[in-house]
Amino acid sequence: MSAVLDAVRHPGSARASALPSQLRSAGLAAGLAGIALVSVALVANLAVAADGGTGRADTLAWTFGLTTAGFVVLKSGIALTLVGILLRVRDRIDAAKSSLPALAGPTAVGPGSESEVATSFGRASRTIRALDPLPIHRMARLMWAPMVVMGPMLVAAGLVTSILQASADSAGDTAAYSAWTQGLQFLGEGLVLAGISFLLGVILGELRRGGGEVQEALGVTVWTLKMPLSAKLFVVLMATGVMVSIAQFALYVVAASVSDPTTWFAVLGPLREVGLGLLLSGIVLALFTIGTVLGFQFDRMRTLVRGEER
Amino acid sequence: MTATTITTEAETFDVEVSARSLGRNLPQRIGRRLWLPMLAMAVMAFAAAMVVGAVRGYRIDGGDARNIETLRQLAAGLMFIGFASVFAAISFAIARILGELRKGGGDLQEAAGRVVKTLRMPLTAKLFLGLMAMAMMTLIATVVAHLGLALSVSESATTLVDSEKWFVVLEGVRRAGVAVYLFAIVLGLATISQVLRFQAVRLRKLPQEPGASER
Repeated sequence: MSAVLDAVRHPGSARASALPSQLRSAGLAAGLAGIALVSVALVANLAVAADGGTGRADTLAWTFGLTTAGFVVLKSGIALTLVGILLRVRDRIDAAKSSLPALAGPTAVGPGSESEVATSFGRASRTIRALDPLPIHRMARLMWAPMVVMGPMLVAAGLVTSILQASADSAGDTAAYSAWTQGLQFLGEGLVLAGISFLLGVILGELRRGGGEVQEALGVTVWTLKMPLSAKLFVVLMATGVMVSIAQFALYVVAASVSDPTTWFAVLGPLREVGLGLLLSGIVLALFTIGTVLGFQFDRMRTLVRGEER
Repeated sequence: MTATTITTEAETFDVEVSARSLGRNLPQRIGRRLWLPMLAMAVMAFAAAMVVGAVRGYRIDGGDARNIETLRQLAAGLMFIGFASVFAAISFAIARILGELRKGGGDLQEAAGRVVKTLRMPLTAKLFLGLMAMAMMTLIATVVAHLGLALSVSESATTLVDSEKWFVVLEGVRRAGVAVYLFAIVLGLATISQVLRFQAVRLRKLPQEPGASER
């Protein structure tokens, strides 16, 4: 983890150049490990499905914990792959910086006045210098690592309570452990998804910074896409999803102390899933925004290479 | 259009060589069209599942057992329409990114008057498409089964014991479907990483290659 953080903070280091391939392989390995964990839980579920006794309840308790742990291993694989992508984006920015001066068209015109312009990708700012990162980009840089680390820790704690639930003797203990398992594991899953969202935010920030730097180094007007509506909605969905994940955890803690939590469980089940659904919906919009920014940047590079507008 | 390879110190890329940009391929064009409908469907399904779950929670204390079981099957079905749709939207958004990279990279080389070299579809991309389709079919099958059980329980054609048994089976199967979907997403992202690497290598080589007027 420290090697990853070091490479993200110091992109020029020798470590950073070899790391993306390693992260990609580690991401794929984590994905396979996650599939293996979920497969074990699936086989156990199928084996006890027809059994109506307490043996089934005990098995379903630990398979729930194991499945969620498998999901988090898979999501950690996604996070590792995204860090690799972040480093690749930086490498591509360096490549553009070194190659574009030789490729750019000859009609050099100095940077014009600062203004806004409509493009087929949305409104863009035209400035003399590259723009500073937005507050959300700075926040994303700070927050992705704590989220990606804390999430699996909570899910592991939930796995322990699911094993305790499977071996509990009284109905009261079983219900209490079940509440802790669900609350901890879905908060953990929510945090990992938030970490993935922040990583996507870091990638968007890097595209903005790199795009500006490449144009500034060329001595042309710096075109930067203004934050699209999809990016604003992404932030709203992510924040709502995290709040729902925290709320479901708090409510499960309350449910753990009530004598009959059946009603609580019936309502909290869909609520916790909706929290994850909101985070995933935010991730869709973040990926869409990345696609839009890439399209805008290719369009700008093509314009510069053709020498149509500088 | 011909096939060739580009070799760097660390890796080899299989590429297609052409005079013009190849543009987006079929899965990328589908991704551009379908990501938003899938996201919209997911949001609606999550909202519907939340409402059904709340109704079930309201009725669970002293309500009719058959009615409560029907609502449980219905809520699970709706929730996983949401998850199947949102994972599809993520996959389509990844395909859209790959499309922007393929089209943008080709257009840039063409604008620079160089030969256009486009990375051939890597193995990770092929596996991404295959696993995504497999996971989606698994989740849709469990959704259909949940909704069928909801109907069957409400009409007393299935006993509560059988419904419970099938719920456990379907829970395991749909979780496996989600796991396969997540792995497909890892593969899709790994493909983006590989394409970015190829583009950095290609960008660095472009200035040394002869332009259209020099060939």
